[in-house]
Amino acid sequence: MIRKNYFKNPGALKIDLMLRGAAIEDPVAKARACGATGIDILLPKKILVNIPCEDWFTVRSPYVIKKSAGKKGYILTNGSDSVPVSILDRPEFYSRKTATGVPFGDIAVTHGSYTVITPDKRCGFFKSSAQCRYCAGNFSTDAAENGGRVYTVEEVLETVKAVLKEKASGIIYLSIGFSDGDDGGIKFLEPYVKAIKSHFNCLVAVEALPPASNEWIDRAYAFGVDSILYNLDIFDKELFSVICPGRAGLIGRQRTLDALKYAAGIFANGTVASHLIVGLEPPGSTIMGIDFLTDSGVVPILPIFRPSKDRPLDVTDLDAEVIIPVYRHLYKTLKKKGINFNWVRDISMVTTPVEGRYLLNDEKSSSPFLDNFYESRLGMKTAWGLSAIRRRLRVKKIKKEDPPEGSP
Amino acid sequence: MRVEIDRRPIWVILAGKALRPVFFLLLALGFILFLQLPVPEGLGTGGMRAIAVFLLCLVLWVSNAVPVAITGLFAIVLVPLLGVLPRGATYSLFGNEAVFFILGAFILSGAVMQSGLSNRVALRLMEKHGGSPKRLIISIFLLAAALSFVMSEHAVAAMLFPIVLEISKSLKLRPGESNYGKLLFFALAWGSVIGGVGTFLGGARVPLAMGILKETTGSTIGFLDYTVAVAPLVVVLLIVGYIVLTRFFPVDIDGVENAHKVIVRRARALGKVRPREYAVGLILGITILLWITIGKTVGLAAIAMLSVMALFVLKLVKWREIEEYVNWGIILMYGGAIILGTALDRSGAAKWMVDAIMTQWAQTPITVIALFSLLAILLTESMSNAAVIAVLLPVSIGMAGRTNMSPEVLTYVVAIPAGLAFMLPMSTPANAIAVSSDYISVRDMAKGGVIMFLTSWVTFNLMAHFYWPLIGLR
Repeated sequence: MIRKNYFKNPGALKIDLMLRGAAIEDPVAKARACGATGIDILLPKKILVNIPCEDWFTVRSPYVIKKSAGKKGYILTNGSDSVPVSILDRPEFYSRKTATGVPFGDIAVTHGSYTVITPDKRCGFFKSSAQCRYCAGNFSTDAAENGGRVYTVEEVLETVKAVLKEKASGIIYLSIGFSDGDDGGIKFLEPYVKAIKSHFNCLVAVEALPPASNEWIDRAYAFGVDSILYNLDIFDKELFSVICPGRAGLIGRQRTLDALKYAAGIFANGTVASHLIVGLEPPGSTIMGIDFLTDSGVVPILPIFRPSKDRPLDVTDLDAEVIIPVYRHLYKTLKKKGINFNWVRDISMVTTPVEGRYLLNDEKSSSPFLDNFYESRLGMKTAWGLSAIRRRLRVKKIKKEDPPEGSP
Repeated sequence: MRVEIDRRPIWVILAGKALRPVFFLLLALGFILFLQLPVPEGLGTGGMRAIAVFLLCLVLWVSNAVPVAITGLFAIVLVPLLGVLPRGATYSLFGNEAVFFILGAFILSGAVMQSGLSNRVALRLMEKHGGSPKRLIISIFLLAAALSFVMSEHAVAAMLFPIVLEISKSLKLRPGESNYGKLLFFALAWGSVIGGVGTFLGGARVPLAMGILKETTGSTIGFLDYTVAVAPLVVVLLIVGYIVLTRFFPVDIDGVENAHKVIVRRARALGKVRPREYAVGLILGITILLWITIGKTVGLAAIAMLSVMALFVLKLVKWREIEEYVNWGIILMYGGAIILGTALDRSGAAKWMVDAIMTQWAQTPITVIALFSLLAILLTESMSNAAVIAVLLPVSIGMAGRTNMSPEVLTYVVAIPAGLAFMLPMSTPANAIAVSSDYISVRDMAKGGVIMFLTSWVTFNLMAHFYWPLIGLR
């Protein structure tokens, strides 16, 4: 099969690289930057991408990252074409430790503009073998692996301080797996979010499970969450229940969709998002998911399923030509429906909606000034300020009274 | 914790939030512009400034943009700042006897409630006289009025509210639908309001009026003099009030056995009368007796304070308990109102306003009484009744020289009607408490309130015209 050459289109190149990975010729660079989650590199047009770089993954990849001949830096090449790239060093804070001796790198992982912190890496679905079949990302497949350790608020605060001090990223992304209770994990994350908000001027995104009651969504917004993600991952109803039996049985697809729709009415435009994993269902189904979610004001984020040696689930090889139209559709739909997607950018693990413009050769529609603004510290501070003002205006009253049963 | 998210468009929320700063900005601009206006003939600069402060406070009291106490602070700060009165003189007005009298009244009232005495009296009376639907209404109506003779009407309404609510529930009355439910809460609210005008103790407005009267003219009114002057009005309003209520809301239940059981159960639960209750009751009785007999000579505030001291010396109350019952906001508001009234008087502004504005409409005693009482009753429907006194009394007292009426009569003309708020829940806390039960709607209250409004105004004027001359008030 003759594969298309994507070197002229950085958006498409990002997708192909994520699918196929790239070998790293320089052993020093490989040892320094290639971790279990891949390597972060910067493509032309400042497109950030996380590429699988482990040997087992890249064995069939035509891409190689090597030192640029006669120049400083690196190039990405397939033998015939090449583009200059930069390998992003692992953040320095990874190697430092909290006062309690936990490496910051264990607590937080930076993926471009945001840093993921998972204070409790256990997911209750694993207990009953009802976990999502593709899952291994942030959560321990084995609860004992982490020794049952839950990072304290103080440890997380220390970590956030290190992240922000190094300017590794401007958005803190807290995530949580499934736990008993009808709050979707919000109750557990509340002290973390409050502590971060009271100590630092940064945006906080939360990836949680849809709560049983919308009051938890109100509460999450009120106590400081700027952006919320309830990941559907698979839009197709049947595949959803087969691949995610726990979520289908204990939460339900419909509840996830309802919670997303409600949250989109509470949070700012473009700050409620849901993952639809490309590759776990037919592209047509993902496109239907995009249409459905955007009708509710939700930003679909489309990570590509990345096979892993540790995961029970495997899918047939994906081809960039098949999935690029999905990203094009995402970009066009978001623009058409007026959903703000400017704050979902510079994420190495997914092709963001902003990057969709390269796939449609729609670069002229964007303003370099605005792009620079959104990416700048000033832009981040502005987003934080606007988010804080909006919350102050919208959160009407907080009464201390006995809550009704089943509510926060 | 309960959270509500305002989902209206952000511009609507912003517009709503902007109203307040815009209001204050316009108010400040209006205040400054007023001060820049040329001083009218016959009015000095001090008078002009006093009127500016008066208008500012009037807007704030009517709009309720800030708590009434804070409006009082505006007067306290602005009067010396603008040079209307010297700083020392201004703040010394805060030590007015009326302020200490009302402080004493709050503490006495708190002690009566804290001891359980008022609750016991209420339950015993209802147990004894509340055997049928009509008798129960009458006992609540008269009880609220009688208690408001010796306690703040607000405190009476708050104290009786849980009892009346429990009675309504025991009778399974449907909120908003049951006529008897409406009757019960109207009896509570209107009984408190009518009783509240009966003596100095029913509310804070009469002591405030006395304070302003004393500061501006040096004269004063005795505890008994006031009660005698107002008694016919109280009697007529109680009778008319009962007739109006039972006509508008005919009794729609057959018996009150369940309610009576509740009252009996509650009364029994109190046990025997404790020494503390006897002692507090005794001190209250002696205090009222002293107010009646030697109040004019010794001063009402001195007697009130002596009683308060006795309560603490005998360890009948604790300061921490009493603090809950002292409305410091009202005390602050009083200070401000007295300062404002004195500033208007001493600067000549009150006299000028009377000459310039009121003279056209109020030239004879009859028209003065009719006009001021009407204004007071109308204003008190939407303003704190003490604020009505602060606004109207300096002007009405200013009419004394022009109409040959005594300042005392002109004080009654405002102080009594200022307590007659029947129409709206915002008029007085007693009405608000009744509406909060959900048994009475605002519409119900307005409907019956109009009749009471007209009755009280007409009765007041008839009383002033025919009865007051008989007791030497002219």
